[in-house]
Amino acid sequence: MLVTILTLVATGVLWGGVYLLMASGLNLIYGVMKIVNLAHGDFIVVGGLLTLTLFELHVNPLVALPAAAVLTFAVGALVERGIVERLLGSGNGELRTLLATFGLSYVISNVGLLLWGAQFQSVPFLEGSVHVFGINLPENLLVCSLVAFAFAGAVHVWLTWTMSGKAVRATSQSAIGAAACGLSIRRIRLIAFALGCAMAGAAGSLTITLIPVQNSSGGPLTVLAFTVIALGGLGNYVGAFLAAVILGVAEVWTSYQFGSDAAAAVVYILFVLILVFRPQGILGRAARV
Amino acid sequence: MIDRLRRTAALVALGALAFAPLAPARAADTLKIGFSVSETGALAAPSIFDRQGYELAAEELNAKGGLLGKKVELVHYDDQSTPSTAVSLYQKLISDDKVDLLLGPYSSQITAAVAPIVDRAKLAMPAMDANPSGYGTHPYVFQAIAQTPQYMAPLMELAAKHGVKTVALLSQNSPFPSALAAAVKSAALGHGMKVVFEEAYPPATTDFGPLVLKAAAANPDLLIGATFVADSEGIVRAAKSQSFKAKMYAFSVGPVEPEFAKALGPAADGVYGNTLWFPTLATPGNADFVKAFNKKFGRDPDYHAALSYAALKLLAQAAAGVGSLDQQKILAWLHGRTVPTVMGGFKIDDKNIQTGFSSYVIQWQGGAQKLVWPEQTANAKPVYPHEGWH
Repeated sequence: MLVTILTLVATGVLWGGVYLLMASGLNLIYGVMKIVNLAHGDFIVVGGLLTLTLFELHVNPLVALPAAAVLTFAVGALVERGIVERLLGSGNGELRTLLATFGLSYVISNVGLLLWGAQFQSVPFLEGSVHVFGINLPENLLVCSLVAFAFAGAVHVWLTWTMSGKAVRATSQSAIGAAACGLSIRRIRLIAFALGCAMAGAAGSLTITLIPVQNSSGGPLTVLAFTVIALGGLGNYVGAFLAAVILGVAEVWTSYQFGSDAAAAVVYILFVLILVFRPQGILGRAARV
Repeated sequence: MIDRLRRTAALVALGALAFAPLAPARAADTLKIGFSVSETGALAAPSIFDRQGYELAAEELNAKGGLLGKKVELVHYDDQSTPSTAVSLYQKLISDDKVDLLLGPYSSQITAAVAPIVDRAKLAMPAMDANPSGYGTHPYVFQAIAQTPQYMAPLMELAAKHGVKTVALLSQNSPFPSALAAAVKSAALGHGMKVVFEEAYPPATTDFGPLVLKAAAANPDLLIGATFVADSEGIVRAAKSQSFKAKMYAFSVGPVEPEFAKALGPAADGVYGNTLWFPTLATPGNADFVKAFNKKFGRDPDYHAALSYAALKLLAQAAAGVGSLDQQKILAWLHGRTVPTVMGGFKIDDKNIQTGFSSYVIQWQGGAQKLVWPEQTANAKPVYPHEGWH
């Protein structure tokens, strides 16, 4: 029994790592720009499918990860300059960017259809398991989770300790204040958006080794990422970390105890409970005016 | 003033041009056959095979002089994998395009959505809906696929022959897999096997670890899944990482797709699946179909392509058989006989349910799909028990 409990908790924490990386990019973009990128899941899918193509050319998924991140960074930068930046200044900027990124998600997923077709695709990568303390952990999940934690951690360190990271956080706290201090808000928004997309692309490289992905998988992934950051507190990085791990463990545990149907529900039950009792999220601050 | 006049005239001319293609261009010597496919959206992969099967069949008909002395023209639209879009497209096919014959869209949900309109239009339509529940209430919609309960019947037969005693049954909680799981369970009981574990999971499930952990605790001879592609891969991954030791692994949709082995690598080897069609089947015209499809589209057909190819040929044969487009007579013609197709013998009962061709068992061996059962059609021997995960 102890072995089972350990297996479940460990698997849950590992999935939490993957969820965290999926959500971090969305969180960064929301934190800085106060917009929800509804095409986020599609960036994850593109990162994944690019990894598939590279894998077919015998490139290891972990080597493909930076490539996917660079590509999605570039696409993200184009989208920010070409679409988002133009809409932010106008009235109702948040609503209009929501609609624009919603449309963008269709464009990306249908470009994906043309490039990769609509089949569910996945990459065989480290399919064995590791035995530690008498429990079996899937190798690919272990590696992906460690990479995801490391990637998300690195971004967190960057945001907390470096000058440029601090500039990004300053912008997220008060764009006007940051601008008054001489920060280039336009440039910071560009970096934040593109970096958020790059994190989605990186998450995609890992995701496709864990679960099959098709061109239209983006929607559910966006919802998942959004749930994690809403649980943790929109724009809050430590909160997202906690939320991702809680979500991973709760899901795996419920699936074992009460069946997979309950596991699908538990995410949303948690979500509703948090919204009722702690609407700002686990670590989010209460809304300021 | 003159400028404005000129501009108005230009606009009018442009407008006339824009509307020109909408003017009736229906030549009396063509016979229109309409359908919708999911060119985009979640169902695009199998659905595009459907369209290509229809296209090849139409091309072959035209090469042999068309149908009822007329050239066959296919009219089709993209339903975006959405039932409500398909409904308005079939409406358009019937009332605007005034097609002479209808072919079915892909998937049970979309078929169920368009069936009432097809009935109202009184057009006999071959359908790709495997669930038998909708037929019988729709007199003009007839099944052109094997019915769901039959999908894994030969597989269970093979399992019984291998001496499988205990079964763990996993199924996705959606219409097709649920109906299939019920059939698998009753087949297992019918063969004297014991179902030691049974659980359904929602379509959005991504982590199959806990589910497989529980199934492994029941220690079954056969781990069988009523699945689609993504979930079957998830279950195999989890089974391998937990060193699951069953004697046989089998999944409904999943192993039949080439992506299955691409995604799983060596872990795919030894896994059983089922298919409604196989390229090496000795059914009439099958070898020519595979060759022609490959030549026209540059890829091998899958069973969806074979199904739709057979469906259009079937409908054409019925129309030619009665010598007219009288839909009642076409239906009566189809009810009266077994029609040989690339799928095998097609036959429908009085509820429009297809009772002729059924399914075949495949197994991944050395990175390739092999047809292993029924014995008389097999091109390889089934490997049993499972040789352990590679």
